[in-house]
Amino acid sequence: MALRAALIRHLRVPVQTLSPAGRVSQPSVANSLFGSIRFMSSHDDHLSKEDVADRVLSVVKSFPKVDPSKVTPDVHFQSDLGLDSLDNVEILMALEEEFKLEIPDKEADKIDSCKLAIEYIHNHPMAS
Amino acid sequence: MASTSVSKGQILSLYRSLLRTARQFSDYNIREYTKRRTVDGFRQNRGLTEPSLISAAFSEGKSQLQVAERQAVVYSLYAPDIRSVMETNLKGKR
Repeated sequence: MALRAALIRHLRVPVQTLSPAGRVSQPSVANSLFGSIRFMSSHDDHLSKEDVADRVLSVVKSFPKVDPSKVTPDVHFQSDLGLDSLDNVEILMALEEEFKLEIPDKEADKIDSCKLAIEYIHNHPMAS
Repeated sequence: MASTSVSKGQILSLYRSLLRTARQFSDYNIREYTKRRTVDGFRQNRGLTEPSLISAAFSEGKSQLQVAERQAVVYSLYAPDIRSVMETNLKGKR
């Protein structure tokens, strides 16, 4: 109890003094502070394309059957990396886990290169 | 019963469903086993060309998928709180 009282005494809270005219003497620092923070705004939440590309490439490179030196943003899974359709599905599963997405079957069948994967994930609103 | 041949799309769809169901398991061991078994099983049957063998393997895969889906529900009812040591991210390896 004594500690608490000592702490409260020790803390200095800035107090805005009202001048006799009733105007607040402190400039509106609070307003400018809160003006730069947009609460509940998801506009800046979206991933940048380089960020998406880096993470997609690292997922593809860490796939055991892939040769990491061949992986570029334009690489095609089956023709360049020598994978088959089963590997394609596995890579897409790994990408789903990385970005916490659910890719529907119809879209997943179309994605067969790094480029398409990066584009799809970048355009997906739920990617994180 | 006229057996229609199984298409590549159906096989890939089954593969994907099995892997997705594997993710639902909270138990690390079962999850990894399901993933390993589907990968191995599909790879093993990759070279099949005879339609009857292909459709037999496909229906076996479908029944395994149903088993896995049921078990995922049952396991989730009794999910343990303690996670496997394989799931911890140990930073700073010694």
